[in-house]
Amino acid sequence: MSEKTNQQIVEESNQELNEYIKSDYEAGFVTDIEADTLPPGLNEDVVRFISAKKGEPEWLLEWRLKAFAAWSEMDEPEWAHVTYEKPKFQDISYYSAPKSMEDGPQSLDEVDPELLKTYEKLGIPLHEQAVLAGVRNVAVDVVFDSVSVATTFREKLKEAGVIFMPISEAVHEHPELLKKYMGSVVPQKDNFYAALNSAVFSDGSFVYIPKGVRCPMELSTYFRINEQNTGQFERTIIIADEGSHVSYLEGCTAPMRDENQLHAAVVELVALDGAEIKYSTVQNWYPGDENGKGGIYNFVTKRAVAHTNAKVSWTQVETGSAVTWKYPSCILKGDNSIGEFYSVALTNNYQQADTGTKMIHLGKNTKSTIISKGISAGKSQNAYRGLVRMNPSAEGARNFTQCDSLLIGDKCGAHTFPYIESKHPSAVIEHEATTSTVSDDQMFLCQQRGIDPEKAVSMIVNGFCKEVFKELPMEFAVEAGKLLEVSLEGSVG
Amino acid sequence: MGAINFNEQAIAFADAAEKANFLSGLQQTGLAQFKTLPFPTRKTEDWKYTSLFALTKQDYNQAVQSADVAGLNGLYDVEGLGANRIVFVNGVYQAQASNLDAQAGVLVETFLNASADLQADIAKQVGTIAETGRNLFTALNNAQVNDGVFIKLEKNVQLEKPIQIVHVTTAQQKSATAFARCFIELGQHANATVIEQFVSTDETQNVLLNQTTEASVGDGAKLNHYRLNSEHESSLHFGGVYVDLNRDSQFESYQVLLGGQIKRLDVLVNHNVGGSHCEMKGVYLPKHDQHVDIHTYIEHKAAHCTTNEVYRGIMADQSKAVFNGRIHILPDAQKTLAELSNKNLLLSDKAQINTKPELEIYADDVRCAHGATVAQLNETAKFYLRSRGISAQEADIMLSFGFINELLESIPLDALRTKMRPLMAEQFSSNRELTKHLLDSDVSEVAASGETA
Amino acid sequence: MLTIKNLQAKVEEKDILKGLDLEIKPGEIHAIMGPNGAGKSTLGNVLSGREGYEVTGGDVSFDGKDILDMDTEERAREGLFLAFQYPVEIPGVSNLEFLKASVDSVREHRGEEPMDSVTFLKLAREKCKAVNLDQNFLKRGVNEGFSGGEKKRNEIMQMMLLEPKLCILDETDSGLDIDALQVVAEGVNSQRDPNRSFIVVTHYQRLLDYIVPDYVHVLADGKIVKSGGKELALELEEKGYGWLENGGQ
Repeated sequence: MSEKTNQQIVEESNQELNEYIKSDYEAGFVTDIEADTLPPGLNEDVVRFISAKKGEPEWLLEWRLKAFAAWSEMDEPEWAHVTYEKPKFQDISYYSAPKSMEDGPQSLDEVDPELLKTYEKLGIPLHEQAVLAGVRNVAVDVVFDSVSVATTFREKLKEAGVIFMPISEAVHEHPELLKKYMGSVVPQKDNFYAALNSAVFSDGSFVYIPKGVRCPMELSTYFRINEQNTGQFERTIIIADEGSHVSYLEGCTAPMRDENQLHAAVVELVALDGAEIKYSTVQNWYPGDENGKGGIYNFVTKRAVAHTNAKVSWTQVETGSAVTWKYPSCILKGDNSIGEFYSVALTNNYQQADTGTKMIHLGKNTKSTIISKGISAGKSQNAYRGLVRMNPSAEGARNFTQCDSLLIGDKCGAHTFPYIESKHPSAVIEHEATTSTVSDDQMFLCQQRGIDPEKAVSMIVNGFCKEVFKELPMEFAVEAGKLLEVSLEGSVG
Repeated sequence: MGAINFNEQAIAFADAAEKANFLSGLQQTGLAQFKTLPFPTRKTEDWKYTSLFALTKQDYNQAVQSADVAGLNGLYDVEGLGANRIVFVNGVYQAQASNLDAQAGVLVETFLNASADLQADIAKQVGTIAETGRNLFTALNNAQVNDGVFIKLEKNVQLEKPIQIVHVTTAQQKSATAFARCFIELGQHANATVIEQFVSTDETQNVLLNQTTEASVGDGAKLNHYRLNSEHESSLHFGGVYVDLNRDSQFESYQVLLGGQIKRLDVLVNHNVGGSHCEMKGVYLPKHDQHVDIHTYIEHKAAHCTTNEVYRGIMADQSKAVFNGRIHILPDAQKTLAELSNKNLLLSDKAQINTKPELEIYADDVRCAHGATVAQLNETAKFYLRSRGISAQEADIMLSFGFINELLESIPLDALRTKMRPLMAEQFSSNRELTKHLLDSDVSEVAASGETA
Repeated sequence: MLTIKNLQAKVEEKDILKGLDLEIKPGEIHAIMGPNGAGKSTLGNVLSGREGYEVTGGDVSFDGKDILDMDTEERAREGLFLAFQYPVEIPGVSNLEFLKASVDSVREHRGEEPMDSVTFLKLAREKCKAVNLDQNFLKRGVNEGFSGGEKKRNEIMQMMLLEPKLCILDETDSGLDIDALQVVAEGVNSQRDPNRSFIVVTHYQRLLDYIVPDYVHVLADGKIVKSGGKELALELEEKGYGWLENGGQ
């Protein structure tokens, strides 16, 4: 038996790990690239400028202006369990694009090599050959600041009838689809940030899966904020037509900067009858430094509508951002539709997260599952906020919610705010929540069986998150596990 | 009739009302606080699911007139309780209906009957525990504080008889608000049982009762607290219970809320010093158009404290219930054990429940859990009962009762249990034929006590 | 006592019973054996009128009355008792309340006076003792936290109290060790009466060593495919069900 006490061992490993975690945020570099950036400020002219820059039709400009008018009348929401200095909306630039993208490169060969290097460094392969040679079978749309720089595998997807392109192109190529669905799930006036996004959104991904088609590969969007003082306002729209199936992945990073940067995205999912959408996110925006300086404000509206027999599954691993405000939701409109939400949210240092989901049951026999795992370390605050609503029409609806929090260190906070509203007697709702710590007893047991403390913590935390990780596509799961390890291991005590 | 500005009228009412002079300090700060609080709307988080529209339709900011107070004791007598009793009718103390046996080391006095010295003591204490930030009715209670009950137990004193504080409301010529107050102070290792009972005459009520109770439980002391609301279904009740727990002290509370037009209860328990324990059990049974709203706030401010909170509700007809249970664990509250369970049964298509069990945790070495469920009667269980020859109707009632029976049976005072059982059974059916098996005193008593040998 | 003619029933659109015939006279014990999924449990549920079990054809006459149109509780009051394969837990409802309500309703149906509480308690304690169940069980919630064996004994105890005409024991032996099995069997045997019949549904012959049947039927694919005396059970134990199912085709 070691002469050191359990406590000492933990403290030592804690120290080692602290050093480890202090290592750079690996995605924190800046790409030195000439950019075409709009001066800071927001008014109607900025909205018109963005629209003109993208050569948008009149209807879309009108749509944006309507959103801008609504936003101007709205107040920033304050109910979330986060405190931060509100963004100064007039100090943000609402459009930035690499100069080299001005002429619209036709193929990857024409894309600025600096840009390609950026993604290589981030481990995002843009060359299809490289992709094929490797293990990934993923089509990627890459959004750099305000524009989409590359979308891979478009031809292959086209063969299957799948549309996967930047919204800026979909405006011209599939205006009827865009007109029909954009804003149909998240209306322009839905909330403060959604309204802001609707006014100034720059780009994003557009996906349409035709009837009965099982999308032949994973689709993915990779978001990167590079330019200083810019905000990123992208939209994603996924429409899965009847009986189709798609799995979509989203990743995010940003350089380390001392200022807070704003990311206000909107994601709309439409799963028509019998369709299935699986949407996975690994969010690793720059979280700020260990003193809480800098980092991304991540204020995102994500919502899905599931029609009859459709299924929508949100899986998220949230390790980044200084402040997160995000509630991927499902409106279970059709009978027998299913909504799922699997989440791991980790906060460390001074990070704050207020995240969760809303499951709105409208159809009969609708089902929802919520598994949320919150891990708080350092001086961070981590809140789960969820709403389960059974409307009077939701006969036979069921919800199961499990919401667990793990606390590491004594200066962090974990909070649970579930709202449960039932208006139908046959609806069954079960909510369970626990808060625990990595206990001395657990550590002792592991050690007594010969496991070193570092490994023990990693095991306990991974065990804690297992239910969620198994929902992620394989490669994302590995990435997520690594991310957690980096973000976490340092904070055991 | 146009909409009434409740706040303006409440301020005018408070300015005009005749109140005890020795409490003027609290009255003034209370009114000042009330003036800063807006009238709750759907957007007020603590009132999100409870509409106070009724208060803007009818003018409740008027003083009670008078009441015929004779012959009301049938409403609140509890056979075999053997309690010291203090009775208020529409907020007015009724000496002839009250009886108080003296016990050494026990002080039970109404505010207005207290000696000048005691009044000075009362003025120092009342209002020190109640919080007004979340609930404007408590601020209003401070602003209007006049009469009330002051209970004080000296160190090591064990209260021999329970204290039963009865609040009766009766219909008035004009709608009105009655205010009532209670302050309990338990010295070190003292032990007391206090029953707060709310009843009304069996007629449509137009008196709103605004009642606030504060308790300071000393080191190692224990307060057994009951709050039983069984007024007429038209009643309006705004209640607040505010408790400070000191080292190793205990607060054990049982709350039974049958429905009312609006029935709101806020319970705040502060674990101020280490080692304290809070045990709260509650049952709410609204039916028809009734509305019950319970907000509990447990503040863990010190280490090694424990909380166990269990609430169950059954909503019938078009009734609505709100349960908001917040457990807040502050950074110093290490080794906290806290559990909250809230289970609900919806008996009809039109009934509603909104439940929100909150955990807010800022300490790391804690174990907390909360659970909430919403469901309807178990069809398999129902089939099982019917397969044994029990009618579908009676099966429903037995199962509903079974859902809350466990909590009822955990009430330690036999006399109260016996009193509450038929009241609760009647909530499910006024047809005695259907509830007779629940009320068969021989069987149920044995079932409860376990004397089967 | 019980005449089942060409009984057909389905569960969730799936035909389970496909023309079952059975005749049971007062005082007889009939064992029904068969492979999993043959419809053994369905029979008990259909006879008890459980929701979700839809009779699509045939007749069931119990004590001269057509019971198929009766509600579950009416059948129970007529004297039909089902001992559940998986007794249900009902937290909060005490066994005593539950049993008193049950006994009263059956007695009332028979035109008898309700039993007074003292007599009832005495009787309940007696029956508890008979199945070796601690008296504490009477005050606990119905089956709440009971072990598997306790639940089954509780079923037999209820049967003794209700004095039914026909008892259907649905795999009452499942999950019991040999001691518990003997207690259950003794309870059942003590209730044997020239006016009371039993249907013992079981997968194993073991139970029939203790509760000796007059007849053994093999139920396969929704029909009785073979009937015989108690020796048939032994034969089944030895050979399994395969030879019968194949032979039946």
